[in-house]
Parts: sequence; C-alpha cells; structure tokens
Amino acid sequence: MKRTLIVIPAFNEAQSLPQLIGAVRQHVPHADILVVDDASTDATAALLPRLGVRWIRLSQRLGTGSVVRTGLRWAAAHGYEIVVRIDGDGQHPPEHIHRLLDPLLCGSADVVIGSRYVGKEPVDTPRLRRFLHLLLGEVLTLITQRLVTDPTSGFWAFGENALHLLVDHHPSGYPEPELLLFLSRNGLRVIEVSVQMRTRITGRTSLTPQRTWSAIARLLLHLVVVPLRSTVGASRD
Amino acid sequence: MIEPVQIIALLASLFLLGLVLELVRRKKLTEEYSFVWLVCALALLVVALGRRLFLDRVALAMGIYYPPAALLLVLIFFVFVASLSFSVVVSRQRQQIERLIEEAALLDARLRELTDPSTTAQTRQRDYETRDTSH
Repeated sequence: MKRTLIVIPAFNEAQSLPQLIGAVRQHVPHADILVVDDASTDATAALLPRLGVRWIRLSQRLGTGSVVRTGLRWAAAHGYEIVVRIDGDGQHPPEHIHRLLDPLLCGSADVVIGSRYVGKEPVDTPRLRRFLHLLLGEVLTLITQRLVTDPTSGFWAFGENALHLLVDHHPSGYPEPELLLFLSRNGLRVIEVSVQMRTRITGRTSLTPQRTWSAIARLLLHLVVVPLRSTVGASRD
Repeated sequence: MIEPVQIIALLASLFLLGLVLELVRRKKLTEEYSFVWLVCALALLVVALGRRLFLDRVALAMGIYYPPAALLLVLIFFVFVASLSFSVVVSRQRQQIERLIEEAALLDARLRELTDPSTTAQTRQRDYETRDTSH
C-alpha cells in the first residue's frame, strides 16, 4: 500500500472537524491525516492539538490554494506518495475516498477528482450554480481535451507525479480551474470519478459575492494565459 | 524662446531627480526601485530642454497642434510605466510573503515534531523507515 496522506484544509471548521476526522479514520485507516488551518478565528486552533492528527497552522489567511500547497510540501518532505484533499466542512464524504484512490493505485491516472455530476444530476445544487458549473465545465473540457463536469470540486487525489509537480506550482487563491488548466498544460492524466457531495455539516462558505466575482475574473484571465505558459520542464530548461 | 510650460517641466524634472537621489541617499528608496523614477525624471528633462528636437517633432507626428500638450502625454506614459512596474513588484512580494508564511508554518510543525515526540512518534518512525528503504 502506498503511503497516503489525507490533507484537510480548514478555515473556521471547529464544529465539523472532529466528526470528519473520525469518519476519515474509519474509512481510510491506513492513511495519515494532516489538518492545515488557514489562520482560523474560531476554536479550530485550540482544537487542533486535541484531535490526535498532524496539523499545521498558517499565521495569516492565505486561501485554499496556499493551504493545499503547504499540505503538499509537508507530504513531499515526509515521503508520502499519494495525497488526498478533502474539505474541512464535511461536504466530501470520506467513504468515497477509496473511489479517488483506486485509479491512482492501479496507475491509470495522475490526478483524480471527485465529481458530483458524473453520471447523474444532483437535485440540491442551486440552478445558477449548476448553470455556471456546466458552462465552465464545457469550456475547460474544450481547452484541456478531457471531460470536466465539476470544475470547482475540492475533492482531489494527487499521485506521485502530480505531488512533485505541485509542491512548487500549486496555484494560490481559489485554485481548482487554474489547477485543471495547469495539469493539462503539463501533460498529467486527470480523471473524474463519481462522488456524492453533501451539504456542509456546519458553518458557511468562505465565498462571499466579492470573492466570487474576483474568482470569476481570475478564471477568465487564466483561461487565456495558462494554456500559453511554458510547461514546468520547459521553463526549467 | 523658452515657454513657461518648459520652465515648469524643467523645474519639475530637476525636483524629481533631486528627490529620488535624496531618498536613495537616505536609504528610504532602494536602488532597484529608484531606476524607474530616475529614467522618468531624465526623460522629462531631455524632453523639456530639447523641445525643438524631440517634442515638436513627436507632437507633429501624432497630430498634436500644441506641442506642450505632448509633454503631458509623455509624462502620463512614464507614470503608467512606473505604476505597472510597481504592480509587478507588489505581485512578486505577495508571492514571497505567501511562501514565507507557508515556510514558517512548516518550520513550526517541524519544531513541534522534534520537541513533542508523544504525538508524532508513529509518523517519525515511518519517516525513518522510508528513509532507510530509500537508501
């Protein structure tokens, strides 16, 4: 079994973390767990040492992209071969982690994304969000030449190739669409598998209207510039 | 004949030049970021002094009938370049700050691993095993 680390990005998730970690332990007992706290302002910081897992706390809030990059850097430094990213709010069901791991373990993918839309139409997604996901998914499918149905999913599993590439190059901010474009540009095999997503256990989304518009503006820019950037190997040369 | 606008441009460019040099002398402005302002001040100086040579020709070529108006255009252009160069600097510093915060958090975690063996013994053991097998 490959050494696997479950990275849980957390911002103000004190209420949902204990339940989530219990479920992750139950469903993926062979994996280690790392919580990366994005400078939470609730009781998360006080809770971390009592959870019995590894944890890292950022001193300033940097956003999901930096949080995941920190987790990946820790994983690479400690010799892990697979990293699963699962959100701290309980949206992603730990019982589906193995669905993401299977393609990595059999070598058929470098990165696996849990999609709520593969093979089914979820009933609880608001209509506007569903429309935006559909539109963005079509655009990303066109650019990356791989099927993208859930372009903002935060349920990811990274194999060794992706891990070593992203330690230095994981994008900042709300990174998912840029990450898809970056991985495609660098020739990694990215696939989606079907997962059932839940509503958050507690708390609210960190996406305020201002952040949403900022993320959309960034995304439009990334759609143009990321495919034009040189690949990592080429820029090293 | 020297026009008032030329005199103002001349004084402004000399003032800017002196101010930048003084800020560098006092170490309030590092050399790296002073160059863009020095170039602006010198360009303004040259344009103000050599009106017939540069400004009138440029204005004529651009269809500007009042050449001193071209001076403002040149000024706006240099301010635009300076602003853009500082946006690049701010972006780079933002990336550096992000990396520093990440690095500090990773070092903090490493320090905890070394000083609090009770919570980390299992993972450390695995780390040693990994290193052993990799050699």
